[in-house]
Amino acid sequence: MIHVQQLSKRFGRHQAVDGISFDVSEGEIVGFLGPNGAGKTTTLRMLTGYLPPTSGNASINGFDVFKQSVKARRSIGYMPEDVPLYREMTVKEYLTFRAKLKGVKGRAVRSQVNQTISECGLSDRRRKPIATLSKGYRQRVGLADALVHRPELLILDEPTNGLDPNQIIAIRKLIQELAKKHTILLSTHILSEVEMICSKVVIIDQGKIKACDTPSNLVQGMRHAGRIQFEVKADPIQVRKKLSALTEIKKVLHGGKQAGWEQFEIIVDSGTETRERLSNLAAQERWPVKTLYRHEGRLEDVFVELTRRD
Amino acid sequence: MREFIILYRKELKGYFTSPFGWVVLAFASVMSGLSLSTAMKGFTDNAIADTLVYAAFHTPHFWFSFLFLFPLITMKLFSEEERLGTIETLFTAPVTTGQVVLSKYAAAVTFYILLWVPSLFQFLAFDWITSIPAPYDQGSLIGSYSIIFLMGLYFTAIGCLASSLTSSQIIAGIVTIGILLLHYFLGYVTFIWGNDFAAAGVFYQISSQLHLDEFSRGVISSPPFVYYLSMTAFVLFITHHHVDHRRWKK
Ligand SMILES: Nc1ncnc2c1ncn2[C@@H]1O[C@H](COP(=O)(O)OP(=O)(O)OP(=O)(O)O)[C@@H](O)[C@H]1O
Ligand SMILES: [Mg+2]
Repeated sequence: MIHVQQLSKRFGRHQAVDGISFDVSEGEIVGFLGPNGAGKTTTLRMLTGYLPPTSGNASINGFDVFKQSVKARRSIGYMPEDVPLYREMTVKEYLTFRAKLKGVKGRAVRSQVNQTISECGLSDRRRKPIATLSKGYRQRVGLADALVHRPELLILDEPTNGLDPNQIIAIRKLIQELAKKHTILLSTHILSEVEMICSKVVIIDQGKIKACDTPSNLVQGMRHAGRIQFEVKADPIQVRKKLSALTEIKKVLHGGKQAGWEQFEIIVDSGTETRERLSNLAAQERWPVKTLYRHEGRLEDVFVELTRRD
Repeated sequence: MREFIILYRKELKGYFTSPFGWVVLAFASVMSGLSLSTAMKGFTDNAIADTLVYAAFHTPHFWFSFLFLFPLITMKLFSEEERLGTIETLFTAPVTTGQVVLSKYAAAVTFYILLWVPSLFQFLAFDWITSIPAPYDQGSLIGSYSIIFLMGLYFTAIGCLASSLTSSQIIAGIVTIGILLLHYFLGYVTFIWGNDFAAAGVFYQISSQLHLDEFSRGVISSPPFVYYLSMTAFVLFITHHHVDHRRWKK
């Protein structure tokens, strides 16, 4: 469905996107993650034909987004990040205009506009001028615009940004519903959302792809590389020395003393089990232990690990 | 073609869904009414050999109000899309740059033509109301409106280009009126310096004042047609290129 190869974008001297490659196949929901300024919006804009790539290429449904732009655009429903809208139009007028412009014909226009309006929870605002809507409602109009022509591929740039929790859940459900018939590429900062709905995650940072896998695989990889919380009563210098002598330990962080207990955080290598050795060590040294706990990895940890700047 | 029509209708509707379009329409009909009554007053004050149509297009304020129509009609076309960011939704829909440019231009020209309906109606209403035969002939009427149409094509295209250059309506409007005033003053060059210099012929060719003068006497000739139509095509071509280029620049 989407095929991206060595795509790059440079703004003056600033390399916003730096040779990224990935594929999205039919029916997938792909989450596009990255810190602010990572190049997500820029990538999505290149895919939708709004920005020309500096080098590399991308195709949608087999059509090159640069050379066969109009054909490629036909199969896309795009919701831009800041949701630009014609403010003087009413919701219904706007969606009708957009549906026609994107190729919906005849009777289908009316029925698809009405259906989209109710799907996006806009029924009671359909006759309001867009200028009078709140941010969340404008966001919904933007989403409705992306959906109204029933495109094969949805490209959504932070679709749930600015929505209330009820609406976030509703939109998430809608996206899951849509995923049965559509391919979806969405960028977001809400990681729980990605874990819930995405079948694949692409993490990008400073214009480069850092990871591209299913959320569970990413977390799995992370889980092994976990973080161990260790609370003991002993001389911290001694503890640090003994711990560091163990193999497969990356880092020992001392978090201070709390009610007599020394707090340690231990980062271990991936694919290793260290708790047994730690408890043996404590027993051997006769350290009273209060906590020996391994944190479950979350996508958030993966994200922070991959995009952290030390 | 389908996309062109959809865009065109949306643009044209835009003139009437905001109070702005109606204000411009009111301004234009007041100005043409004023021109006509000034011309009629001229007729009652002293004997004139010109026709009423000729006189109405030669009132002191004609050029002033005429040239100001174009920034008003065109300044929003592209700059508003740029400012609101809707240029992104527009150009990610399956439309070509050509369809966008031509639909906006065609809508502006249509609105411009509509602005002249009241004035045409005023001329036609002259004999219905005064029940004396109107002091003009068919030729001067056709000539005047032809040249008004031709100038409109060209000047609207200039406004279109100016609007595509900036995201500020005000700047687009100022650039448009600046170019039109320049063009207007170039038309006066031969009045000021006479016509005994090499390039005088060129200044004759591009003088809108002279074109209007001839056409409103009923003297219709082809060079102005060629001039305005080719300039229109040229300016639209540049506009297209500019809009397209901005999407493709590195
Ligand atoms: N039109 C532009 N001109 C110059 N630089 C730009 C332009 N658009 C984006 N950039 C730069 O490119 C980089 C990537 O921006 P982009 O908007 O793609 O980030 P993002 O991943 O979408 O971030 P966010 O999470 O904040 O939305 C940023 O450093 C930004 O400053
Ligand atoms: Mg962004």
